[in-house]
Order: sequence, then structure tokens, then C-alpha cells
Amino acid sequence: MDMVKAEGLTYEYIKTIETDHGTEEEKVLALNHLDITVEKGSFIAVLGHNGSGKSTFAKHINALVKPTKGTIWVNGFDTNQEELVWDIRQSAGMVFQNPDNQLVATVVEEDIAFGPENLGVPPKEIRKRVDEALATVGMSEYTTHSPNRLSGGQKQRMAIAGVLAMKPDCIVLDEPTAMLDPVGRKEVMQTILRLNKEEGITMILITHYMDEAAMADDVYVIDDGNLVMHGTPKEIFSEVEQMKHYGLDVPQVTEVAYELRKQGIDIPKDILTVEEMVGAICRLK
Amino acid sequence: MLRDITIGQYYPAESIIHRLDARVKLVITFFYILSLFFVNTFVGYLFVIFVLGLAVKASKVPLKFMLKGIKSIMIIILFTAGINIFMTQGDTVLFQKGIITITQEGVFLAIKMCIRLILLIIGSSILTLTTTPIQLTDGIEYLLRPWKKIGVPAHEIAMMMTIALRFIPTLLDETDKIMKAQQARGADFDTGNVIQKAKRLIPILVPLFISAFRRADDLAMAMEARCYHGDENRTRMNEMKYQKADYVAQVCLICYLGVIIALRVAAAKLPFFL
Repeated sequence: MDMVKAEGLTYEYIKTIETDHGTEEEKVLALNHLDITVEKGSFIAVLGHNGSGKSTFAKHINALVKPTKGTIWVNGFDTNQEELVWDIRQSAGMVFQNPDNQLVATVVEEDIAFGPENLGVPPKEIRKRVDEALATVGMSEYTTHSPNRLSGGQKQRMAIAGVLAMKPDCIVLDEPTAMLDPVGRKEVMQTILRLNKEEGITMILITHYMDEAAMADDVYVIDDGNLVMHGTPKEIFSEVEQMKHYGLDVPQVTEVAYELRKQGIDIPKDILTVEEMVGAICRLK
Repeated sequence: MLRDITIGQYYPAESIIHRLDARVKLVITFFYILSLFFVNTFVGYLFVIFVLGLAVKASKVPLKFMLKGIKSIMIIILFTAGINIFMTQGDTVLFQKGIITITQEGVFLAIKMCIRLILLIIGSSILTLTTTPIQLTDGIEYLLRPWKKIGVPAHEIAMMMTIALRFIPTLLDETDKIMKAQQARGADFDTGNVIQKAKRLIPILVPLFISAFRRADDLAMAMEARCYHGDENRTRMNEMKYQKADYVAQVCLICYLGVIIALRVAAAKLPFFL
């Protein structure tokens, strides 16, 4: 079964604009007929510039936003059905951008316990889940600390642990590294990759960092609410010009390869990592 | 500078007081504060100080920590003392000049007031220093539960307190940042009189409020995403259970209140300066 399946997913909202003649209402199409299928256990990245609708898509997976038209099934549950909301939110956890604004409690373990407590899990089982989740993200030594003293990367890992304790099948991460320093970004990305590989949790990463998207199995590019590109990172990033057209970058080495090709040097266009680049250059005559 | 505020600060240690149930500690603190207003003799205060000293010792929290709290309300204590000294009417006049009259009764009352306030602060800071905010709010939630039937939103109050405690340091950091950003652009917070200083706080409060609302919005969504739906079918990881020590503490409280009442009854027979 597919983890997430969107068919003709459309979301409109009314925006009021202040003009000289009073307020005007304008319909904004945030998502336009999106068809996306995410297989269980995969790691996908959703790219798009600011305001492209990628966050709106993420909120649909958690039933925080309901589609105007079309349907989205999460773990087989239709988000349009009110009574399934809690099942959906349990199967698809969500990690947000701002590490400070998603932590509820003043002690790390209490915050991790927040999700399972809401689900009505028995106390002993919660204890077990909290310890497991903290161990999984490598934060066991901070169990009784206050989140205020933690770094941004640690807070985001804590947020991931909070979702893990709810035993989800899928985690949606809405720009989880946007407010972190390079060290924090690395910590969070390693955690995401490990959870995907070892625990088989489906990861849906909304991001605008290209090198993060390069780690995914599949990449979707959303532009002004339309799904414009879909493929493996290699397929997507080799289209340097198309990516630039959508206001997106490609990983630095891919761009170097692109420029080298323009100069007539025979180098593959789908280079994503420095190692690949080194290999390709060494093979040059 | 803003980080020095000690409200709700927890001092981690392994002690009997730390292990006591939050509900018991809340009830004890409540009756302790009541008892302070019941005591009216120096002998009584001596007894309270003795009991409090035992509690401080048992809590393993350095006394320095408790006294920090007093420093911040020193002005209030001095102000109260001043009013009591100058405003109390009495028979034994110690000093008189113009409209200022200081009586012996006034001096005694002022001293008693100061002791009372200091004991109040130390006593309640034992509660906050030895109880984690979570335990505290859980305790309040539990104690308020019987009133739920008449519409007291026990769970919601506890949740709001938790969130407030969670965000106090975050918002303090933010205030610091906003102040620094404005100082960098030439704002001056240190000179001028009180009114001028207060006026200069407005440009700090506006962005602070906006950001607080934004945070609230984000947090609400994050809580919803984690299946929060009030206290219906909600379980707790750490359930509160009374231990033997909690029963002992309750017995101690009853004994303490007994002594306080006895001292109050006996007060009539004591000489006035005691």
C-alpha cells in the first residue's frame, strides 16, 4: 500500500488585499491538481521556492489542512473524513521549521511523552517509548534536561523523537533545518537518513537545500502550486537550466559540472557529490 | 540580565523534599502561608523559622539560592517596613519630630512584617525550587479536579501554566535580542526618568507581542499535529502516587498547625515584646 497518495489535490484560499478602494478578495490557488504517490519506506524530497505551496502540501498529509478539491490518502485513510483525523496524525507525524515553537513541555522526556499521552497510551508503555525514541535520536543523556538549554539541532532531534514516540509510519518534515547552523543541519539529516534506512519510516522532506534533496530517493518540484518535475535526484539536478527557471539551485558540484560541460569538457551531467566529481575528473584524459 | 529572574526555577537535587508528592507540597505550602498570617508573636516566628530551617536543610538547596529571591523583592520589604514604622499609632513614643512619630508598636510591627514576608518568600521558593514545573502543574491540575464539575477548567489551566513556563525563557531571550537590535540602532534604555524609560519600552513590546502571537499559532498547530485534543482519553507518563513519606509529611503538617494554634492561644499570656 502507498504511504501517501494524492489525486487531483487542489487547495484554494481567499486572500483579502487592502487597496485604495477598500478591501478586495482574491482567490489564491495554493495547490493545483497535484498527483503524488509516496511508497512506504521511501525517502522523498519536495522542493520549491518560497510560497510555492510545498508547506501547504505538507500540512495536507497531517490533515491540518483539508483539500478544496481532490483527495489525499495517508496510510489508506482519506483526510476528508473527520473521524479519521487522529488515525492520520498518528500515522504521519510532523516536524516543523522552528525548533522552539513546537516543544510543549519544560523537560525533554515530558515533551516526548506529549504525543503518546494524547493518544491514551498506558503509562508504562509511554515510558518505554520515550526511552526508545530518545535513544534512537541519540539524546538519551538529555532525558531530564530543559529544552531551553539545547542547541537548535538537538531541539529538532527532540521534535523528531516526539513524533517517533507516537509510532508513526511516516514523518513529514517541513524545512526542519532552515533555522539551524551547519552542525545542527548535519545532525538532523543524519537522523532522518538513519530512521529511513534502519526503521523503514517513510520520510517526506520539504526543503530548499539542494544537497539535502540530493540524499532522497525521489524528488518532487512544486512551482506555484503545480507539480512541475519529478524524478530521482540525478534526473532532477541534471536539468540545471530548468531548475534555475523555477528559482531553484542545484548542488554546487552539479553546477560546476554543468559549467564545465558548457566549456566543452566531457563530464557526466548528473554529478551530485564531491566524490563523484573527483572520480569523473580523474577519468578525464 | 533578564536571565537572573528566579521565578519557577528548579534546583535539581536528591532529597526527601524533592521526592515528596507535588500535591502534598502544594497543600503544605498553602497552609504554611496561612499559618504565617496567624502567627503574631516573636516566639511563634522563632518556631516557624526553626521548622523552615529544617525544611531548607532537608531540601539540600543552598540557602544562598533562596536568599536570591529575597533580593529581588527587597524594595517591597523595605517599603512595607517604612509604612509600618511611620504609620502605626501607639502609646510608647520613641521619637517625634514634626509630623513624624515613631512608636515602639510600629517598630515591632515593622520587624514582624519583614520577618513574615521573608518567611513567605523562602517558604514558597522551597516549593518551586524542589518541584519541577511539570510536577507543579500536574499537582495543581489534580487538586483542582474536584472543582471541574462546577466549571473550573483544571486541565486547561495546568496546560496554560506549562506552556507559559516553557516560553518564559524563550521570550526573555527574544526581548534581549530586540533590545540589542534597537540599541544597535541608537535606542537608549538607560537614561531619563521613569516615564521616559517606560515610554521606550513600547517599541520593544510591539515586536515582542507580534512574535508571541506567531509562536502561539505555530505551537497550536504543532500540538494539533501531535494529536492534542484536551484531556479526554489522555494518559500521563508519570502518574502521581502517594508514598509513605507523603503521609508522614501530612502528619507533620497537622502537628505544625497544632503548635501554631497553641502558640496563638498562648500569645495572650505572653509579654508584648515576645
